[in-house]
Amino acid sequence: MPRIIPPEERQFSLVLALLATEHGLTKEQILSTVDGYAQKYDPDGPNANLERQFERDKDALRELGLPLETVDPPGEPGNNQLQRYRIPKGDYELPGDVTFTPTELGLLQLAGAVWREGTLSGDSRRALIKLRALGVEPDGVMLGYAPRLRALEPAFAPLTEAIERHEIVTFPYLRPGRTSARPHTIKPLAVFQFRGRWLFQGLDHADRPLTFLLSRIVGEVKGTKTYFEPPAGDQAARAVADLQRVWDRQTATVEVVPGSDAAARLGRRFGGDDPEATVLTVHYSDLALLADELAGYGPEALVIEPEHLKQAVVSRLEAILWQHAEAEGAA
Amino acid sequence: MSAAGPTRPAFAQDRLAFLLSFVPYLIDHPGVKVADAAAHFGVGEEELRAQVERITGLGVPGATATYGPEDLFDIDWDALDDADEIYLTNRVAIDDAPKFSAREAAALIAGLQYLQALPGRADGAAIATLMAKLSRGASATPPAVAIDRGVADAALGVIRAALDTGTRVEFDYLNSRGEHERRPVDPLRLESRDDTWYLRGWCHLRGDVRIFRVDRMQHPIATGEKVQHTPEDVALSETLFDPSADDLWVGLRIAESAIPTVAEYLTAESKLVPDGEGRVRTRIRVAHYHGLKRLVASLPGLLEVTDPPEARKAVADWAQAALDRYRSRGRA
Repeated sequence: MPRIIPPEERQFSLVLALLATEHGLTKEQILSTVDGYAQKYDPDGPNANLERQFERDKDALRELGLPLETVDPPGEPGNNQLQRYRIPKGDYELPGDVTFTPTELGLLQLAGAVWREGTLSGDSRRALIKLRALGVEPDGVMLGYAPRLRALEPAFAPLTEAIERHEIVTFPYLRPGRTSARPHTIKPLAVFQFRGRWLFQGLDHADRPLTFLLSRIVGEVKGTKTYFEPPAGDQAARAVADLQRVWDRQTATVEVVPGSDAAARLGRRFGGDDPEATVLTVHYSDLALLADELAGYGPEALVIEPEHLKQAVVSRLEAILWQHAEAEGAA
Repeated sequence: MSAAGPTRPAFAQDRLAFLLSFVPYLIDHPGVKVADAAAHFGVGEEELRAQVERITGLGVPGATATYGPEDLFDIDWDALDDADEIYLTNRVAIDDAPKFSAREAAALIAGLQYLQALPGRADGAAIATLMAKLSRGASATPPAVAIDRGVADAALGVIRAALDTGTRVEFDYLNSRGEHERRPVDPLRLESRDDTWYLRGWCHLRGDVRIFRVDRMQHPIATGEKVQHTPEDVALSETLFDPSADDLWVGLRIAESAIPTVAEYLTAESKLVPDGEGRVRTRIRVAHYHGLKRLVASLPGLLEVTDPPEARKAVADWAQAALDRYRSRGRA
């Protein structure tokens, strides 16, 4: 009985064959000759299962970033049977000048480990496997550190994929300050982190830029199979810069109780050189979000101005008191 | 491939990435010892030997569309058997390492940007150089994922230096009675979740491993004393919140759409029971009500404490005390 060939061996043989061919191989040639397919190939049959396997293997190669190219036969564009496949070596290989020092590799390993729990953990793990091909031993300066980005917000993977495909998405969003979610339909541009929070920027139906907190996307992110032409440029860098401008412009004055949790946490971010400061100038990008945080500090933080932030905090505190003042269920 | 389509098992892809990386490594390191190669790729020696043997059966369909000996990888079997050394004697198709996929590069780039928050670890110029190399090494433009630099925390610098030199730190920290206590701690590991940094260390006051939020430490200093406990002799858990026998159980009612915002507090024991009015009931463990009242107050309208009555009262008192301050300030 012939040995069962594991998928990675079949895919490896496929990569070798596609790298070795100069003019490309037709699907027929691949299925009938490449190790892992050839054993199951029936010269008389329709080979439907084998063709489906080939389609899945092509996806697997593309997922790994291997530049799979299709060449249409001259004079017969789109003829599926005569289409040829190849992997151009120049596009496949890591450029010779991309090298890393042991210290850089130590940093990259730590950068990859950041994703241990998240959806990008598989991607970073495979990147680190590929880096080992270079034979550089990382130095150990990063022992003793376990930084983790959760990206547990299940929105992360579908959003980054939709950004790659330029696909319009829909999702339910719970705005800070609201108690129920509303559906949104958005052209996704960038996922980024700002001041420790994961955010996502996209365009609405009128192409106005909107920013969302990933943690407040409270349901499935769905693709709509509708695609759009994204604006040119580095969207993530632009989104960060946009938010930074808002952040720089919007300030509140907050008085904190010395020695309190609020003094420690806000003081660290906004206290400047004086660790004992009790009146802080607090920058923010979203008023409702800051009001939530300040309400959490209870009596330890008091908004002096602006008035609408003070009102937002007071109304939150009133709602909490109303909800918890009576015996449970009375509300 | 559609987003909704089935995701391939990650490990088949890892194994393909391994094969594609292992071959150029062997080309660049003729005569490498099995043990060294195994250590480099983080696999066992037996496993590595099996991978070497497996490669020798693989190759390209040659000129006659069959796999002749000249079309297959081959090694010096004597060197492997006698000296544990790997020499490729015939190789096909592959010369160099593969590029990164756009998403692989993006994952590392985003991770690097995040590490900039670690003071003294990674300076901006070194990280910018690395990110540029990763972009050039990717087969397509990495998707837009970016992390801002944030605000470096001075306490992080103190802890990092203590960790590197194996010395003790001391800081004031809120205890379960809501009071500050001076805690002498041997640092074991500096950890983070997104924007929040934690020190896992041996607390000499409690005589056990404890986790401290770095942004809740006050007046941190390095004492210069040598640590008595190191990561080698203390078992470190991988989870951030270790359940304790002293934990208090609290009943909650959560707006359904707000469940993801409290996901990190839910454990396997936290059953979600819908109440038919768009809310769910559940139970969580908390160390003390001082943390709970802050959590509830920071998610106004989304989270209601249902029991025990003391927990509800802690939240109500917290909000009342804050409102009293606003009222007395208004009169002043």
